[in-house]
Order: sequence, then C-alpha cells, then structure tokens
Amino acid sequence: MTAYIVRRILWGIATLVIVCALTFLLFRVLPSANPAVLRAGRNPNPHAIANIEKVLGLNRPLTVQFWDYMKDVVLHFNLGYSFYSDEAVRTLIGERLPATLSLAVGAALLWIVGGLGVGIISGLRPGSWLDRSAMGTALVLVSAPEFWLGLVVLLLFAKDIGVVRIFPGAGSYVGLTSNPWNWFTSMLLPWFVLAAGSAAIFARLMRGGLIEAMGEDYIRTARAKGLRERKVVRQGVRSAINPITTLLALEVSALIGGAVLVETVFNIPGIGRLAYNAIVEGDFAVVQGAVLVAALFVVVANILVDIGYAYLDPRVRYS
Amino acid sequence: MRSLKPFGFAIVLATVSLVVAACGSNSSTSSTSSSAGAGTVGTSGFQSPLTEPETGGKRGGTLVILNEQDFEHLDPGDSYYDIDYEVVYATQRPLYSVKPDSAYEAVPDLAEGQPEISSDQKTITVHIKHGIHFSPPVDREVTSEDVAYAMERGANPNIENPYFHTYFESIEGAPKADGGPIMGIQTPNKYTIVFHLTEPKAAIVVDAMRLPLTAPVPKEYAEKFDKNKPSDYANYEVATGPYMLKNNAQGKVLGIGYVPGKSATLVRNPNWSSATDYRPAYLNEIQYKIGGTESVIGRQVLESADDVQNEPPVPSDVQLAAESHKSQLEISPGAGDHYIAVDNKVGPFSNIDLRKAFWAALDRKAMDKALGGELVTNVMTHFLYPTVPGFEQAGGLAGPKGPQFDFDEHPEGDMAVAEKYMKLAGYPTGKYTGTKTVQIVGATGNREPAAEIANQTLKNLGFPTKLTLVETATMYSKYCNVPKEEIEVCPTVGWAADFGDGQAVLDATFNGRLINPTNNENWSQTDVPKINAAMDAAESIVGIAARASAWAKIDDELVEDAAAIPYDYEKEASLEGSQVAGVGDLWNSGLWNLSFTSLK
Repeated sequence: MTAYIVRRILWGIATLVIVCALTFLLFRVLPSANPAVLRAGRNPNPHAIANIEKVLGLNRPLTVQFWDYMKDVVLHFNLGYSFYSDEAVRTLIGERLPATLSLAVGAALLWIVGGLGVGIISGLRPGSWLDRSAMGTALVLVSAPEFWLGLVVLLLFAKDIGVVRIFPGAGSYVGLTSNPWNWFTSMLLPWFVLAAGSAAIFARLMRGGLIEAMGEDYIRTARAKGLRERKVVRQGVRSAINPITTLLALEVSALIGGAVLVETVFNIPGIGRLAYNAIVEGDFAVVQGAVLVAALFVVVANILVDIGYAYLDPRVRYS
Repeated sequence: MRSLKPFGFAIVLATVSLVVAACGSNSSTSSTSSSAGAGTVGTSGFQSPLTEPETGGKRGGTLVILNEQDFEHLDPGDSYYDIDYEVVYATQRPLYSVKPDSAYEAVPDLAEGQPEISSDQKTITVHIKHGIHFSPPVDREVTSEDVAYAMERGANPNIENPYFHTYFESIEGAPKADGGPIMGIQTPNKYTIVFHLTEPKAAIVVDAMRLPLTAPVPKEYAEKFDKNKPSDYANYEVATGPYMLKNNAQGKVLGIGYVPGKSATLVRNPNWSSATDYRPAYLNEIQYKIGGTESVIGRQVLESADDVQNEPPVPSDVQLAAESHKSQLEISPGAGDHYIAVDNKVGPFSNIDLRKAFWAALDRKAMDKALGGELVTNVMTHFLYPTVPGFEQAGGLAGPKGPQFDFDEHPEGDMAVAEKYMKLAGYPTGKYTGTKTVQIVGATGNREPAAEIANQTLKNLGFPTKLTLVETATMYSKYCNVPKEEIEVCPTVGWAADFGDGQAVLDATFNGRLINPTNNENWSQTDVPKINAAMDAAESIVGIAARASAWAKIDDELVEDAAAIPYDYEKEASLEGSQVAGVGDLWNSGLWNLSFTSLK
C-alpha cells in the first residue's frame, strides 16, 4: 500500500513537470500576444521591444528560462512575478486560493450530496413523478452552460438585479473569516451554478447504477433472508457508487474549468479569474503559476480517489 | 494612439460605443457638434461630455466604479490605456491636460501657461507652477527637475514608455536615451524646463506634453524602484493631482490602494491645493471593484445609486438604458474608428480600382447596424473622425464630395459603381476572374459581423476568399501587424488617437515611412510618396486651424487613393447610477473624469 502511494505521488510530480513544460511551450510557441510587444505600445521600435524582452527575461533561450523557473519553484516555491503588477505570483495565488477553495469545496459537497441523494431517491422509485421530475431537471441542468446558468440565476434571484431579490449577487463575495454568514450567503448561487451540471450527471449515473444493482440476485437473496430494507439499499448503493467514485476525479478537472466561468460571472476573486485575466494579458508567469496550482489539485484529487476507491471496493488490490 | 494597442483595441474599440456631441445646456440634451465642428454627429437626447455640467457638483461621497478588466500600468511613465488614464489623470498632473468637454485643446496643468516656442520651432520653454507638492510620503514641492526625470525615465528599459520615441524622438539625445539625463532637456531653474529639438517639430512635442509621461516623478524617491526590472515604482507611486492611490506611511500602494485583480482605492491627496488646479475634485473617495462580467455590471449600475460602469456596456444594456434609464446613459462621440485595411502593396488590392470597387460594393450601413446601429456608430466616410480637427473640412459625416469620390457616395453599397471600377481594373465582366485567394483575418467577438460582411462583399465581386477569425490581440500581433504575412484584408482594425490631431490619427496608420516589419500599424501598407511628403510637411505646421486644414487635405488624398475602406465612426456609451452626476472625458472615449464627477 505504501509503495503504491509513493509511486502515485512520484507519477503525480512527473505529471506536474510535464504540465509545466507544456504550458511553458504553449504560451511561447502558439500564436498569442507577445508580452513585450503588448507592453511596448504603439509603433514600438525593435530596440524598445528588445529592451523589454531583456527586462522580462524573455530573450534567454527557452530551455534556460524553463530550467530557472523550475529551479525557483522547487527550491524556493517561487512562481515568478507578474509582468504587469510586479507582484509575486505566489502572493497573487495565495490571496485567491481561499475564494477558489470556498467555491470548489462547497460546490463539490453540494454536487455529491445533492447528486447522489437525488439519484438514490430516483433509483429507488423509478418511474414515479419524483423520479421523472428529478431526471427532467437533471437533463436541463446538465445541458446548461455554467456561464449562461450563472447569468440566469443572477437575473432571477440576485438582490441587486434579480426579479425575485433573495440572494446576494455578483461582487458580494467576502472572506470566510471576515464575515462567515455573508460568506455563506454570497456563495449560495455560485455553489449552485458550479455544482448543477455535475450533480445532474451524478444523479443520473447513481439512478442507473442503483436500478441495476437493486435487480441483482444478491439483493433479492438479501431480501429473501429478511434483511431490513434499509440495509438492502445500503448494499445496493455501495455497489452502484463505485463507478461514480472514478468519475469524481475527472469531475475535479471540470470543476476547476467551471470555476473560471463562475468566478467571472459572480466576480469572485479566485484563481480561475486570475488565470483568465493573465491569459488575456499575456502575463505568462501568472498563467504558469495558476496552471501549476490547478494541476496540483487535479493530481492530488486523483491520488485521493484512487486510494478511496480501494476503501470502497475491497476487491481492488494495489499492486 | 493609446487605445489602439492590442488590449486597448480589444476592450475599447471592439466593443460598443456611442454617440454625440452637443451644444446643449445640461445633462440630458445634446444635438452635436464636436469641438472640431462635427456638424451633425451624435445621438440626440442623451448626455455627453459636451453637455455634462462641470461646475456646481456636490462635494463629498464615495463613487464606486465597476471595472471588468484590471488596470495595466498605473505608473505615469508607462500608462497607455484609457482605463489607466482615468486614474492617472486624477492622481497626476502632466504639464498640460485636456478638459472633459474638449477633444484636443490642452490647458496648462502643472505648467504655468502656454509653452514658449522659438521661431525655428526647435526650442520649447515651459514654466511650471509654484506651490505644487507631491503627496505623502514625499511631501516636497515639485520642481522642473522632477519633470525632467519623469521624461528621462520614459526611455529607461525598465519602464520603456510606449510613446516616448513616437513623440519625443526629436528632443536632442532622445534617440539614444536609456533613462539617464537627456541632453536636450534642460532645467535652468526650479520652475523652468527647456526642450531643445533636432528638428522643427515643436508642434507635436507640445501636443504630447498632455500625456502622463510629463507628470513629475521625484527622482530621489523613485530611483530605487526604477532600478528594478521592470520598475515597480507604480507600487509606491506618489501623486500631484487631487487624488492619490491609498498608501501606507512608507508609500506602499500595492496591497493597500491597489490589489491586482480585486480593487483600487483613491483618496484625497492632502497636499493638493485647489488654488493651483482647474479641477473641482468633488468626491472624497473612489473605489474600484475589479472583475465580473460586463453584462452583469451594466444591470448592477442601472439599478444602483452610486456606481458607474467603466467598460462600454453590452448592446442590450445600452438599449435598455436608452429606453428606460435615459438619464443614466452617456454617449460620447469621437471614440475612434474602424476600417478595412487592404494590402496596397501586394496582391489584388495593389490595384487602386479594385480597392475602389470593394469600397463601392460594401454595405457600410449594414455593417454599422450589425455593430449596434446609429446609437453607437456613424457610417464612416473618410479617415479623420468626429472631434478631431479637420473632420469637418474633410467632409464631415457626409464625406468628401466630387466625381472622384463616387465610390464613397452610397453607404448602403452600389454594385453599379463597383462594376465600373472592376472594369477599370481590367475585369470586363465586372467580376474578379483571378485565381488568387484573398486572405482575410478578422477579430472574433462583436466585430465578427463586420468581417463576415466584408468577406461576403468580396465573394459577390467574384474574389475567392479565406476568412480566418482569431482573438483581437492575435489578429494584430501575428497577422495584421506583420507585413510579411501578406494578409490582403484585415476587416476589423481600428484606431483611436492619443489626442485630437490629424497627425495622431493619420501618420502611423498611413505614412509609408512608418511601415515596420513587425508591430506595423500602417495596416494597408499605404506608401504614396505624395502623401508621405504632405504628412512630413504637415507635421511641422503650428496652430490648430492650420494643422486641421493640412491634415484634412491629406485625408482627402487618402480617400481618393482608397487607402483603406472605412465603415464605422465609434461612439462610446457609459452607464452611471441614478445618483451619480458623471462627467466623461471627450478625449478619453467618454470615460469618467474622476475630478469632475460628483454625487447628487
């Protein structure tokens, strides 16, 4: 078990280095705005651009730039400095991490609890009005892009611009430590929007898996032996939940992608929005740092899910 | 030219903007007539920088500004973006500046009066005001040496001001400047600064003195920040204007008065004296909230009391405001233009008659309608745009008249005229029969319809085409700004000048001498010796009227040459809360002037 975890961590580190290298290459090779040119303004002469490239260190060979970057990351956890604000990328990310974590963790809880709960209820009563309405809603939510859904819920329910003014709207985010209640209420709509699509997928998968599991011979046997229905259902759920656990790791990536949009619509100062703005501005150091942190989350989530999978399904053995 | 760098383009010109000018009285009426005599340019019934009252505002209060995008550079040495300018002109005092209702007329700001220009136009003397102080922690009085340092640091590679070489290259020693003293900038005493030029280009140097680079910077304080690569003076900058970015006792702004991607806070500069300034500075505090999305921000502002939106609102919000919140909508003319750049050098459009055929066939009305209609655009008929001196002389909105301009006469497109020019170009059927596929590269986003219409027009004329749509920044940096890519048609390029002057509008975009292998902004690669010579001559002309006349003639020649195909004069819309008495800057695309805006 320990050897397996160590191996997974080493693979995780290798993945992060590859992600770093690809991001590095991507933003320097593909057509995108050269930060030196953008900074140089109108009609810059080649001398001015060369000067800026020198100041920003963009004139050095790519391999040297990458090596120096990795050295700084590994030895000092120094992710570089923003080309625009000159602020340390580590600081920029550190300031935004709580907002993104708030959003991601809350949404993940909502989608797991909501998605699985609805899926179980539907799976136990297939064909009922509850099942039909839940699956109909799930279909709508899974089809709704986060950006669109965000705008719709704001226009419907935001306190400042909504038709029915109930929840705090865009720009209302406050830190958890500064005002827990305001933090909680300001996150309700973003959590819902970010969780909606994934919760709908989870609900549909859970429903399908549970209907199948509840028809298995061992369930019939359990019932025949007089096991209480609650325990029978637990057996069925445990069986149906395994494939969903695998999906959980994949959904973490989708969650981070969705966070970019949700943070933008709701004006939550998180890493997603930071990365988006940096891409638009050609602020490579910030893009690189944000991608690295996002990749770190995905890698860690995958490792945790792999470990958790074995816990949930004892048939899985590490080798 | 500030707004035309790729980001500026993307945000300022690739969005909706609006109208009008006016000679009206107060907030809600305007009929138009730019300071340059724009005639009928405008959208009546909405406030504009020309009608918004600059006096009588209520003192006090906090204005909240919702900014979708973050600032780029707040250092006056490298600030070059309209939203950055909004802060910079509230916190800094360059030698000259422009009042909100003017597009071009600069008034003394840090300077005591108008500059003294020698008869050979090679020496400029400026006296600066006494009693202007830097904000804490510097606190001392501003001297001419602070202006000299501010300009010298513009050439420092750690700052690399975007327009230093464009406008100040004629100062003796400027071409080789690297941040140290420049021979041609002398400070004979504490309150006098003298510029010695190598060429008689005083006019454009004086014009450029309204730009933030001439705002004083205290050398003894800033030098240590300027040694960093890049300079981080912006994180500690001090102010001379009525407001300052909130800072701590050591002067640190970063994380206090400016949190990248989140917020910025301007507070009153305790060392500013209203006796030395023409700005009323009504507000006590200005808070920027950065982020969000423009479609939500627009609604929030319309429902709010004390908020304003900085970026142009989405078309649906402009429409909503025009219908239901008229008093909260400002429309500013003269926010730049958009045209189709056609390669004059190589490919089919090196033939002037094919350019004229394309121009004649293009339905510019349809293009403008697709871009938001008359509320936010006027059909473009020539290259100087409303509010720029020379616009009226060059034909105003109707455009130049005469048989030689027949291809410009029908904004809805005229296939008969197009056919005539196709025949003159050597295509007797009126359709192109060549095999060369025309490469078209346009911007994605709300300019896409313009690219599509241009593409369809060319197809209608028989041209085989290939349309590629990319991000605005990529369109410029990888395609349209790079002549060797040989992109025959760039249908979504645009221009907004640094200041209202024909040279600032036409020189970089059409002067053959300024075609660069990279970062080229003469997108059509227009290189007509006669026009180049006329531009060179016009650069030395002094006086608004004389310059207007000279550049209007150049404009005529550019139209006659069909150097590019114009389609859209920009007007910019801005939204304000119900209790905001906003005053926009005509010269800055209608963006809010924080020193004149107040709360009701």
